[in-house]
Amino acid sequence: MRKVFAIARKEFGSFFHSWTGVMTAVMFFAVTGIFFVILTLNFAQISMDPRSAGLSSFPNISQTHYVFGSLFLNLNVILLFLVPLITMRSFAEERKHETLELLFTYPLTDLEIVAGKLLGLIWFFEMLLVPLAGYALVFYWIGGELDWGPVLSAFLGFWVLGMAYLSAGVFVSTLTKSSVMSAVGTFGILVIFWMMDFAPMSGGGGVSVVVNAMSPLRHFRNFTYGILDLRDLIYFAFFFFYFLFLSLRSIETRNWKES
Amino acid sequence: MVTIRKPRSTEGLVRFESVTKRYGNKFAVENLSFEIAQGEVIGFLGPNGAGKTTAMRILAGYFSPTSGRVILDGMDLFREPQRAKRHVGYLPEVVRLYPDMRVREYLRYVAELKGIRPKDIPMEMEEKISLCGLTDVEHRLIGRLSKGFRQRVGLAQALIGDPPVLVLDEPTTGLDPKQIAEIRALIRDLGKRRAVILSTHILPEVSMICNRVIMIHQGKVLASGTVRELESCLKDREAIFVTVPGAQYQETAEEILSKISGVENVRVVERHENEIQFCLETAQDEDLRPEITKFFVESKIPVLEIRRDQLTLEEIFLKLLKDGWFQQRTKIEAKAET
Ligand SMILES: Nc1ncnc2c1ncn2[C@@H]1O[C@H](COP(=O)(O)OP(=O)(O)OP(=O)(O)O)[C@@H](O)[C@H]1O
Ligand SMILES: [Mg+2]
Repeated sequence: MRKVFAIARKEFGSFFHSWTGVMTAVMFFAVTGIFFVILTLNFAQISMDPRSAGLSSFPNISQTHYVFGSLFLNLNVILLFLVPLITMRSFAEERKHETLELLFTYPLTDLEIVAGKLLGLIWFFEMLLVPLAGYALVFYWIGGELDWGPVLSAFLGFWVLGMAYLSAGVFVSTLTKSSVMSAVGTFGILVIFWMMDFAPMSGGGGVSVVVNAMSPLRHFRNFTYGILDLRDLIYFAFFFFYFLFLSLRSIETRNWKES
Repeated sequence: MVTIRKPRSTEGLVRFESVTKRYGNKFAVENLSFEIAQGEVIGFLGPNGAGKTTAMRILAGYFSPTSGRVILDGMDLFREPQRAKRHVGYLPEVVRLYPDMRVREYLRYVAELKGIRPKDIPMEMEEKISLCGLTDVEHRLIGRLSKGFRQRVGLAQALIGDPPVLVLDEPTTGLDPKQIAEIRALIRDLGKRRAVILSTHILPEVSMICNRVIMIHQGKVLASGTVRELESCLKDREAIFVTVPGAQYQETAEEILSKISGVENVRVVERHENEIQFCLETAQDEDLRPEITKFFVESKIPVLEIRRDQLTLEEIFLKLLKDGWFQQRTKIEAKAET
């Protein structure tokens, strides 16, 4: 376990060695901040003048759901861009610099290597989540009526969604030497997962139902409503470990493949 | 930390048992078997593409062989990789390190990955930093170091944890003469209590630091024996280099040379615009230069240069190959016994 932490620490630290790491964090704070401010102001405007927004009466709209439900749903689109930036370098960079050769000669299992990398990326992602908690506090402080249940569950959902996506990104990163290719590939895969949500739930035939059931967004949305369902958690755990397994298989190929 | 002690088995510390590695249909290493004991420095010799790096990567645990076993101090390297790998330090052919890490930070990382106890890490690092002469650069970024210093960092990471087996792939390439001398002395010293296996293209290097040589070609052992045995087998051969001007003399010159008795293996080694250099082999005890010059003068071919030299590594290989490696191997082994 100590070795896993050593790898994770190095991976986490490498974000601060490069401009991309710092820029990613700054961009994420900026974008989420802007979303939060816009949503809060919008809400304030609607609540003061519901008719201008085409609503006859106001009180039945939940503040929490309007601001935080929308915020987290928007965040999941941001995640499509954020995750590739976080994961692109993990293995691709090691393959580019050919530093894996030495890493594989140390007394480490492949699982320790992949788990360490993934953990470092997860720490970085979690660091980005801290300001989001700040938004909730700000909202509360400026007098918003916060329904803590849905906010916390949305937070949890975003966290597991992010980890699942990171696992997919790490897998893509093991496939290439180029971090650009790695980012583009991860983005592609995540967009495909995102589009699965558009498959109609009924009336589209069996395939469509299955695709919809596999959509990460569908499972994530439950969290933003404040619904904690074990099935959603199992879904994300499966997603995470499936890509972790693929990464392990991918780095194992050195034993039988050329180059 | 792995401490150096008497090996568990009375046999070699390292044992390759018919190790084969295939890339697609190509055999990089084929049926390789050898043993290395503690206190031995083995030189791995072979032309480009012989399979040296492949064999060393297998020993370092980088990848597994297609078939065969590697036994390290009684442990199967691919059955118990976690335990066995702690006994090997590896310096790759091209030392690739994280360019954005500092030397000290990197060595600490390696120590952690090798499972050294946290309280032992500072001492371990101090020791390796001073042993490899890295004290002046310990706070520099690895990406900004010169090749020689990167090589030293590579050596330092191999030495961390004091593994009893050291695998060094061409440890002196790209170093300046002073550094080469230092590294060689260091390796010789390290070899006293360890099993060291190093690959090289430089024949004198082998006689300077190795106790034993394993020559490989196309993934197979071509010859193996102590440096003395190998040298005595090859010492009786020498090469003569003859340079003549212009391509118009090539055929006549070749004809003359091959007619002289005692001359073998005539071939062109270099061809410039108006210079051709031939190489031919002779036995050591007779100097054929006067005779060759005489024949050339008689045929009115000007000679620009004629020089006697020891056979180079490449030529020894060509020779061993020409004689057939089975024969040669038995010859060397027979010599070893007498
Ligand atoms: N990743 C690879 N994929 C396919 N073939 C490979 C690979 N690595 C090495 N080979 C082949 O295996 C053979 C042995 O290569 P190896 O690198 O072990 O030779 P070497 O003895 O170290 O040569 P050199 O003296 O040039 O370092 C070569 O024919 C090489 O082309
Ligand atoms: Mg090599």
